[in-house]
Amino acid sequence: MSTLVDPAIAPEKVSVVSWKGTIALGIFVVVAVGLFVGLPRATETSTFSLATGTDFVQLPNLVMPTFATTVVAIVLLAVLAVVSALLVRAKRRPPLWLTVGFALVFLFAFLTWASSGPLPLQVPGLLIGTVTLSVPLVFGAMSGVISERVGVVNIAIEGQLLAGAFSSALVATLTGNGFLGLLAAAVAGVLVSFVLAAFAIKYLVDQVIVGVVLNVLVIGLTSFFFTQVLSPNAATLNNPERFDRLPIPVLSQIPIVGPTLFNQTVIVYAMYFVVAGVYFALFHTKWGLRVRAVGEHPTAADTVGIKVNRTRFINVSIAGAIAGFGGAFFTLGLVGAFGKEMTAGAGFIALAAVIFGRWDPIRATLAALLFGFAFNLQNVLGVIGSPVPSEFMLMLPYVVTIVAVAGLVGRVRGPAAAGKPYIKS
Amino acid sequence: MVGGLTLITASALLLAGCAAAPEEDGTDTGAAASDFVPCMVSDAGGFDDKSFNQLGFEGINKAADELGVEAITVESTVETDYAPNIQQLVDQNCSLIVTVGFALSQATVDAALANPDIEFAIIDDAADNDFNGETDAPNIKPIVFDTAQAAYLAGYLSAGVSETGVIGTFGGMNFPTVSIFMDGFKQGAEHYNEVSGTSVSVLGWDGTDGSFTGGFAAGTEAQATAQALIDQNVDVLLPVGGPIYQSAAAAIRDSGRSIALLGVDADVYDTDPSVADLLLTSVRKGIDVATYDTVLAAGKGDFDATPYVGTLENGGVGIADYHDYADKVPADLDAAIQDLKAQIISGEVKVSSYLAG
Repeated sequence: MSTLVDPAIAPEKVSVVSWKGTIALGIFVVVAVGLFVGLPRATETSTFSLATGTDFVQLPNLVMPTFATTVVAIVLLAVLAVVSALLVRAKRRPPLWLTVGFALVFLFAFLTWASSGPLPLQVPGLLIGTVTLSVPLVFGAMSGVISERVGVVNIAIEGQLLAGAFSSALVATLTGNGFLGLLAAAVAGVLVSFVLAAFAIKYLVDQVIVGVVLNVLVIGLTSFFFTQVLSPNAATLNNPERFDRLPIPVLSQIPIVGPTLFNQTVIVYAMYFVVAGVYFALFHTKWGLRVRAVGEHPTAADTVGIKVNRTRFINVSIAGAIAGFGGAFFTLGLVGAFGKEMTAGAGFIALAAVIFGRWDPIRATLAALLFGFAFNLQNVLGVIGSPVPSEFMLMLPYVVTIVAVAGLVGRVRGPAAAGKPYIKS
Repeated sequence: MVGGLTLITASALLLAGCAAAPEEDGTDTGAAASDFVPCMVSDAGGFDDKSFNQLGFEGINKAADELGVEAITVESTVETDYAPNIQQLVDQNCSLIVTVGFALSQATVDAALANPDIEFAIIDDAADNDFNGETDAPNIKPIVFDTAQAAYLAGYLSAGVSETGVIGTFGGMNFPTVSIFMDGFKQGAEHYNEVSGTSVSVLGWDGTDGSFTGGFAAGTEAQATAQALIDQNVDVLLPVGGPIYQSAAAAIRDSGRSIALLGVDADVYDTDPSVADLLLTSVRKGIDVATYDTVLAAGKGDFDATPYVGTLENGGVGIADYHDYADKVPADLDAAIQDLKAQIISGEVKVSSYLAG
């Protein structure tokens, strides 16, 4: 992956190894001991159900002895933490696989502990729900990545999602055509972006303030029209056909992966292309180079003949189109009707995903999936009766967000010129 | 940055409250037949929530029409609106102020104590914030519903029609007015198990905690929660909380299985025909009737601050018709439900809830 940082001005790699990560691992080991040994479950086994009805091979249920599994996991976690500590002491940076492995073992142990009992934990359901809950976050994050890479902070993702959800429901109902609904959603997102771009680029208003105000404006407008127009005429104005799930032949029958990724609606398939497209365009095309140049060093971009403000205007509009399109998922992909403030803060979580993903489309997507997983974990565990209070589980996605952005990311550097209007002198 | 984000979210919410001016329908009572002015404040759900705000709104307007006066209604958008909205109605010389929802409890008590000559009524709350078992101000009439009784019937019915032997429920948030449905539902299903020797299990509520979406929006969370229940093979689903049943309906349609949906508050078959084909029945809560009665009585000068508790006995709660499901409910099950209803009314069968004590 190419980055724009010029080697001459890039800070030299300093080989100071931080204890922060290792200490965090240690804390998690203590948490694991406290939970799994301190609060052992009354039931003896945990069952993981891995199969859905359409798979090639029906994987059998995985039955684990709860206590033994968690004890083994604690030992493994402790070993990994010690390895990490030894590496840090030897002034070597613990490899990424160590952290990832630690996280996976911890997660597996936690699931084993929490799902102990007669009801199986539906692993495919957990993953399918993760993708479902992540879709708006991914679209929002792509919008944020493009916008911020070109140097305009996009706080208005929430507004763009909501505008997309509203107009897709309205247009799809009126025309009876879901694809026109998708188009309308993208257009609505662009319109929100136009306002953002006009104020931020042309009139040099603080971008964060414009974004916040735009969110409020869209919430107000959609709620007003929902109450006054859509709600009294729900059957004629707010009753769009939802997109059906389109299973991809063969692929959708692979156990676990198939139902998760390849039995989805058009909107989700479009998401795969959008993520791949944004990644490719941003890092492997002339357009992408220009976008990043404008976001990092607009003056330099200007001197080589790139029209900074025009590039920004166009790309902020594209970003709006992507977020608006994603908003259609709420209505056409999921619920089948618009509801007041139905995006419920997804745009803000998407912003966190942008930062956690370090302004990179692939990493931002992974971050969005992590947040989606945290949301769905509470749904799934709530149903099978987990020992964790529901209020705590509801808090989990936000805890994950804070830990992820503040703790794991550490010092990140966004596009240098993001948030600063470009004034040609 | 995260702090900043939270702040932005918070300020966005706050600004949302400032931006949308409270709506007023008919500020002017005009030359009405009497000088009685009934008024109402919604909670943050608004009067189009297809739930208790909407039912209360319908009740007050019906009563006002009958009395030949015009009701003043104010919608709240955020929690910080409650006290100012009530004060606004006090300033408009309202004679009776109906507040909707336990979220307005404290604001209503404060206003009632400050304005002893104005009559107040609060829907879905006992207006007892010091928990001494009495209403905190003498001029507040609490309108509450022992929905557990109706949900008990629904739970019994659901257990009776379930073929998979698993039925499920989930709520918006773990509030007493939400969990009372879930708890009654569970008790009813357990009663069915006792009576008929089956072992239908109830998912999503264990007596103190269960599945909650964390809000009352029909969005991704509600859908995922419904999906998680469907993955556990439930074939009857009771979503409790405003519009979240829409997400449950979508999840049911996606599953392609035959899963019955239960409505709450109103007979959802009438209020939302788009899910009518999925509805087994609805757990009704007669907010409209109770509000209507209260406003009418107050308009005639017979305001009475004794709490109204909706029960099966006074028809304040109940279950709706089976409509499209009528032929899937066996006659003997229906007869058993009617018997059960009589037994609950007579006290032979006890349904526990925070209102039944």
